[in-house]
Amino acid sequence: MSRTWIGRLCWAAVLLGLLVVGLVGSRFVLYLAMRVMLLAIFALGYNLLFGRTGLLSFGHGAFYAGGAYGMALFYLHLNPDPLLGILVGVAVAALLALVIGFFCVRHTEIYFAMLTLAFGMMVFSLIWNLREITGGDDGLVGIGRDPVFGVISIARDGQFYFLVLLCFALTLWVVHRIRSSPFGLILAGIRENHQRSEFAGVAVKRYRLAAFVISGAFAGLSGALGAMLESNTDAFSAHWSHSAEPILVSLIGGIQTFSGPVVGSAVFVVLREVIERYTENWMLWFGLILLVIILGFRGGAMGAIERRLGGGES
Amino acid sequence: MSQPLLSVRGLYKAFGKVVTARDLDIDFHPGQLTSIIGPNGAGKSTLINVLTGALPADQGRILFQGRDITGLPVHQRVQMGLCRSFQVVNVFPGLSVFHNVQIPVLALAGRGRRVLGSLAREQEARRETERILEMVGLADKASQPASALSHGDQRLLEVGIALAARPRLLFLDEPTAGMNPVERREILAGIQRLSRQGVTTFVIVEHDMDIVFSLSDRVIVLHRGDIICDGEPSAVQCDPQVRECYLGEEVL
Ligand SMILES: Nc1ncnc2c1ncn2[C@@H]1O[C@H](COP(=O)(O)OP(=O)(O)OP(=O)(O)O)[C@@H](O)[C@H]1O
Ligand SMILES: [Mg+2]
Repeated sequence: MSRTWIGRLCWAAVLLGLLVVGLVGSRFVLYLAMRVMLLAIFALGYNLLFGRTGLLSFGHGAFYAGGAYGMALFYLHLNPDPLLGILVGVAVAALLALVIGFFCVRHTEIYFAMLTLAFGMMVFSLIWNLREITGGDDGLVGIGRDPVFGVISIARDGQFYFLVLLCFALTLWVVHRIRSSPFGLILAGIRENHQRSEFAGVAVKRYRLAAFVISGAFAGLSGALGAMLESNTDAFSAHWSHSAEPILVSLIGGIQTFSGPVVGSAVFVVLREVIERYTENWMLWFGLILLVIILGFRGGAMGAIERRLGGGES
Repeated sequence: MSQPLLSVRGLYKAFGKVVTARDLDIDFHPGQLTSIIGPNGAGKSTLINVLTGALPADQGRILFQGRDITGLPVHQRVQMGLCRSFQVVNVFPGLSVFHNVQIPVLALAGRGRRVLGSLAREQEARRETERILEMVGLADKASQPASALSHGDQRLLEVGIALAARPRLLFLDEPTAGMNPVERREILAGIQRLSRQGVTTFVIVEHDMDIVFSLSDRVIVLHRGDIICDGEPSAVQCDPQVRECYLGEEVL
């Protein structure tokens, strides 16, 4: 059996497993699984920029927040339709990424990273200070979950779960398509050698911007769903410490693999949950364990497994 | 003579006090295989950098097929048919040989914008990529990562990537640097063959004088930013100024 088929079977098994969890899981397990999927959506999109295009952004929390606040404001002031709300959240995040990305993609490496950090901090302070609109440090509260198409209820977590699962599956599909498209190859070329890409006739900045906006849109999707899950928004979702999550998650799972961000998200969420129960100093232990994973498996957990199986990227 | 492919007018370029191009006027004509020679540091690579857009010119104008391209970014010049290879191997190290060549093929065909389309279904790009790999003799190494190739093969790939952009005018900066004599003869025979086909006009920078004088239709000698001689190989070979300041008697 070829490796692509083994891969497809694995993904089918994962999605089936998540479906079963949705049917029989306890509330706590459902909540945890949703958190994993939301982080995975965030990180899968982010890794198109990080692992694929070779750009390290410290500002993607801003786009997550763009999705969350876009969705919440639309819900609270304009229209309670959940799908429309998610779409608006994604659009706000993508637009924000377009504007911020426009200024960032002409730089690379440390300058790019610092610019994204700076823009992210600006977005955070805007959310923090524009109390009348964003609720400041309280965030926006009272985000409800009206029925989809006016009939399918998603009010209970057990119902909302399937919307999250659907969005997760959709993200997997889209990101996989992008990775195996001509566009995806050109992004990999930019990562490997951006100067030579120019001499191959590639408009490098435009492709970087496209990757930036796509990753921002997925951050927005994650943020919109997150706001619905928690029924409120959190200013700290735009904070740089939140921007670090998809980076850590990608590194844990392996930035050169498709599955890496998903595996990394599961490890991240579950590990944190477990450690928080045993110790107050969870950050210390969590940091130590992440360090061991990231340094122990160069190329991430999935990268290590793929090397075992032989064969390489794309 | 026919309209020049590329015209350079009053080109000036300096790094601080080092002048690498002093008011140069050059016309490159279609089908004319031109060599640029000159001692180390003469400004050959810098001239290529400026003409292809990697570095800005200080003064002067560059016209490609009659159009002023002085301010155009690199990728637009490549799209128009002006391309180059590099003196130091400059490929996509982590990607397969096939993908290395496929990137310019896709970019030139405008297929790179296909965000959700399948790369595996790009039949035309695949055939074109195979054709180029065949041409540079790397077809049997298509699936290897570029970083795993021998130095000579990386040089071939270097030229393959440049050819894949389907250039009308192609600058090759020391394409045979570090190759053994057999590989060297092969790639130069290939360049001569392609040049005769008339699709691509070649301008090469080369240090091996035997090659330069046997291969070229025209030789330009650059020295500290000045063109000290420009003409047919036989004329250049006999030029006293060239002998004095560059070639050294024993080479000829
Ligand atoms: N980016 C740069 N910054 C400063 N000086 C430079 C730069 N590039 C080249 N130079 C200088 O310009 C001069 C010409 O360099 P160039 O590389 O064009 O020479 P060349 O003719 O290609 O030589 P070689 O045969 O060694 O490749 C040299 O003195 C070099 O040191
Ligand atoms: Mg040089």
